[in-house]
Amino acid sequence: MASVSDMYDVTWEEMRDKLRKWREENYRNSEQIVEVGEELIQEHASKLGDDIWIIYEQVMIAALDCSRDDLATTCLHELQKQFQGSHRVKRLAGMRLEALERYDEALKMYNDILQDDSTNTAARKRKIAILKAQGKSTEAIRELNEYLEQFVGDQEAWHELAELYINEHDYAKAAFSLEELMMTNPHNHLYCEQYAEVKYTQGGIENLELSRKYFAQALKLNNRNMRALFGLYLSASHIAASPKVSAKVKKDNVKYAAWAASQINRAYQLAGHGTKETKCSLKAVEEMLESMQIMPS
Amino acid sequence: MTVIKLTTQAYCKMLLHAAKYPHCAVNGLLVAENQKRKDGQPVLCVDCVPLFHGTLALAPMMEIALTLIDTWCKENKYVIAGYYQANERIKETRPNQFAEKVAARIAENFSEAALIMVDNSNISMGCYDPAISVFEHHDNKWKCRDASIDCCEDWSEAQKIMSALLEDRSYDSLIDFDNHLDDLRNDWTNPEINKSILYLC
Repeated sequence: MASVSDMYDVTWEEMRDKLRKWREENYRNSEQIVEVGEELIQEHASKLGDDIWIIYEQVMIAALDCSRDDLATTCLHELQKQFQGSHRVKRLAGMRLEALERYDEALKMYNDILQDDSTNTAARKRKIAILKAQGKSTEAIRELNEYLEQFVGDQEAWHELAELYINEHDYAKAAFSLEELMMTNPHNHLYCEQYAEVKYTQGGIENLELSRKYFAQALKLNNRNMRALFGLYLSASHIAASPKVSAKVKKDNVKYAAWAASQINRAYQLAGHGTKETKCSLKAVEEMLESMQIMPS
Repeated sequence: MTVIKLTTQAYCKMLLHAAKYPHCAVNGLLVAENQKRKDGQPVLCVDCVPLFHGTLALAPMMEIALTLIDTWCKENKYVIAGYYQANERIKETRPNQFAEKVAARIAENFSEAALIMVDNSNISMGCYDPAISVFEHHDNKWKCRDASIDCCEDWSEAQKIMSALLEDRSYDSLIDFDNHLDDLRNDWTNPEINKSILYLC
């Protein structure tokens, strides 16, 4: 089996840097991490210095994702030898038990950590993850809400809560969670855009107008966000088509929709470069926009 | 009751989508040729369009996808004939409210629409069993079809090719509608994968 460094013609330093990039940007490309990380550990451990410990942790978690219990156990043992009694390593041991679906044993590990240190957020979040894995969404949501009362600034937790609510089709509460995220991250176009999608899904004229505003806001923050552009087009079209709005609102929204439509067309043309497949896509987009066209009354 | 069957291409692309995002829920559409069928002839889903991964239950992008793909279908004499979903949890094989809503919307346009749930626990390198459950619309409810009815047009071919594609990690290059929205140049018709499947046939 060819090595990664042979197949892709990379040095061990490049492999180490790639791992760092994936770690910092929180990618979950576990198969790649296992492939690159395993080779790095086996062939170049001595060159990595202190980096090796964080790499062991990263590779271990990726190995759990890929059902590579052999590799996960190897990494775990190295970490346990080096950092005896560490809570961070204990959490990893718990995650391995979770991967093996030995949830009761995993829970015991996390409870042990919390007994020692009641503020350990990692252990608390793993307990919530177990509830999610077991399909106990209502309990997971309840525990997560309690957690957030104490740790109000935990962005990851707010986003997880929003997703749990969306999966339960509780769009109002999902919107509330996303509002928290938007308040603390006003420049994040993704939160704006997802909030707009939730509002649109809730439905009703007021929510549609809100959704249009937030799609527009997301576009202001990032004018290449296609979802925001499509969303602006959809929400404006629906508002314009509604019998419940005034003539002025209708007129304004027809304008917004028309602008969005032209931007969408332009984006597709720019992406097209005249290839055959994208020509077909472009035609489909044009027809789609025509078919959704609202006639100004 | 009309039976739904899938071609190898439709079946394989659907499972490749699930394999590409093992930690997420995924969903997509199935398309069939738009033609008059004789009584008793099964509906044959000839292709699959992978849509989203991650958070599925939001309306706007689904509406855009349905409209755009509907237009593409008309150009290619296809019709949207079904919806598939693979849930996030490995043991959760039932359709949720969102899946039923989308499938019902498709059924408005195509009365024999099917709702297909991917059975995550049956996805393996060897592909020993078909990894899907087919749900059909009876009296306003979606009921699971008898698992003994063959879901594929040619199961042994589908099995062989699926296995080869998984070995090759072809799922790495599968494009879904989410990927397309991230970069418009990404082609959700997946012509390269279609070629690979044809080549393996």
